[in-house]
Amino acid sequence: MTTSPSVRRLLNVTAAGFCLVWIFPVYWMVSTAFKPYGDILRTTPHFLPFPLSLGNFADAVGKPGFLTDLGNSLLVTASVVLLAVVVAFLAAVALTRFRFAGRRTFLITVLVLQMVPLPALVIPLFLGLRSAHLLDSLFGLALTYVAIVLPFTIWTLRGFLHGIPVELEEAAMVDGAGRMTVVRRILLPLVAPGVIATSVFAFITAWNDYLFADVLMKDQGHQTLPVWLVSFSTATGTDYGGLIAASTLSALPVVVFFMVIQRRLVAGMTAGAVKD
Amino acid sequence: MTTTTRSPRPSAARTRAAARPTRRARRPRREPRALPYLLLLPATAVLALVLGYPLTRLGVISFQDYGLRALFTGQVGWAGLANYRAIADDPQLVPVLLRTAGFCAALVAGTLGVGLAVALMMVRLGPAMRRAVTFCLIASWAMPPVAGTLVWQWLFEPVYGVVNWALTQTGLFGDLSQHDWTSSPLSAFALVWLLVVWQSVPFVALTLYAGLSQIPRSYYEAAALDGAGPWRTFRVITLPFLRPILALVTILSVIWDFNVFTQIWILTQGGPNQGTTTLGIWSFTKAFSSDSFGQGAAVAVVSVLLLFGITVVYVRRLVRSGEEL
Repeated sequence: MTTSPSVRRLLNVTAAGFCLVWIFPVYWMVSTAFKPYGDILRTTPHFLPFPLSLGNFADAVGKPGFLTDLGNSLLVTASVVLLAVVVAFLAAVALTRFRFAGRRTFLITVLVLQMVPLPALVIPLFLGLRSAHLLDSLFGLALTYVAIVLPFTIWTLRGFLHGIPVELEEAAMVDGAGRMTVVRRILLPLVAPGVIATSVFAFITAWNDYLFADVLMKDQGHQTLPVWLVSFSTATGTDYGGLIAASTLSALPVVVFFMVIQRRLVAGMTAGAVKD
Repeated sequence: MTTTTRSPRPSAARTRAAARPTRRARRPRREPRALPYLLLLPATAVLALVLGYPLTRLGVISFQDYGLRALFTGQVGWAGLANYRAIADDPQLVPVLLRTAGFCAALVAGTLGVGLAVALMMVRLGPAMRRAVTFCLIASWAMPPVAGTLVWQWLFEPVYGVVNWALTQTGLFGDLSQHDWTSSPLSAFALVWLLVVWQSVPFVALTLYAGLSQIPRSYYEAAALDGAGPWRTFRVITLPFLRPILALVTILSVIWDFNVFTQIWILTQGGPNQGTTTLGIWSFTKAFSSDSFGQGAAVAVVSVLLLFGITVVYVRRLVRSGEEL
């Protein structure tokens, strides 16, 4: 697009202003986390976290429950990503490589399920898992997340599989490859971007959720990191140093993850939903 | 598909592939076999168990007298329409509905407005500046909602928060050094609005930017030759090209913003004086604070129906456009 120098300068200034505003909360979180304790509660804030201090992190990690709940979060998230991708991949193969009665119905059901407001499910899930004695069970929680992410993961993987020409698989079978070999050597590598996109989605859903974890996991020691964070903030009132350091720790895996895969992120998010 | 045949004869497969004229005309072959159903089984089981069953159960509970007694004895009586009648008679109903709709509309408008502006800005920026904007968007996108909300609490902390300090420094709003943002419904909503917009703009902006960058440059050159101004170019070229993606991010924003729960719950718990209680919060507090699961379920049913009503138009259009579904 052709732009005159004055317009370009105006654009750059606007962009810089936008960047400052948008990054500031993240900067403020990291900077607060690294400040020495006495520098946090200041009526005139210090903008640079010098001298650097790791005291807040030590404080957060040392609090009861942090390591257990971090472990729970990791365990649940890893199971959700693995289960959701495998289950959705199988479903997507069925939906794109076979034609069978009920196929359309299944697809429309998935599409409609994607529109269900999740907070509405909290009550029946709580009562249902309660009578099945699956409250406070990491397995029950993980299963809940798998169901929450499935509509999106099926829809997205279906979009990716749809774009892979079936001729490739046929050619491989002509050359004598078995069905599993075709899946392993042809489908999986080609659908890798889709698997990444859906993994990201499953990862952030399970890692970030607060509502379901809060309601379904009542026992201390069975909670996940977001619930731990919120209880930390209400229990200690104003210990912002430890709280913000713990928030930084919980954000760290996601931020790193997003930065690494940022190129594929948008493509993957939209590929399944927008028709080619 | 040959993948469904156990041992395809090479020659037959080859001729079939050769006979296929174009990719569009390709149709999976109808084969009444168990394999596709087997592949769908795990997904169906999980969806039925964790989404289908609770959804049905939600409807059932909304007609039941499900309170503390039922929770402990396991004896649940039918309530007929009593839960719905109780909600309809509740003076909170109309304010909650209006609040939910208004807040959702404000969030969608804010997110789409800022997101579209940022996307339009990004296509006009140089590579270095564009990378900087992308970096900032990804950073805020990646922030977990709970962590983001707690950071918000800290940013807007009445005495030590950096926002009150900065606003006081500008001298435009008087002394805000003690100002509690959650003390009035309007400023509490503003607090949540800023947070949710900050969290949702990245997805919208990056998606719209991806759409914008696919519009062929030659269209704009032609428009410039014809002497079209920027507004006309936007209306005649940019907007029609962007429409499907714009529709997608709009409907997703409506769904997400209608369901905003965590941010409101942590920042205000629906207060002050229920001034920030939306449908989701209302249902939640009815069930888990007043132990009236029946009424909570009834409110939830109302929200499910409302959202379905909003999205059904979009889904129908998508289903109709997708012949190859």
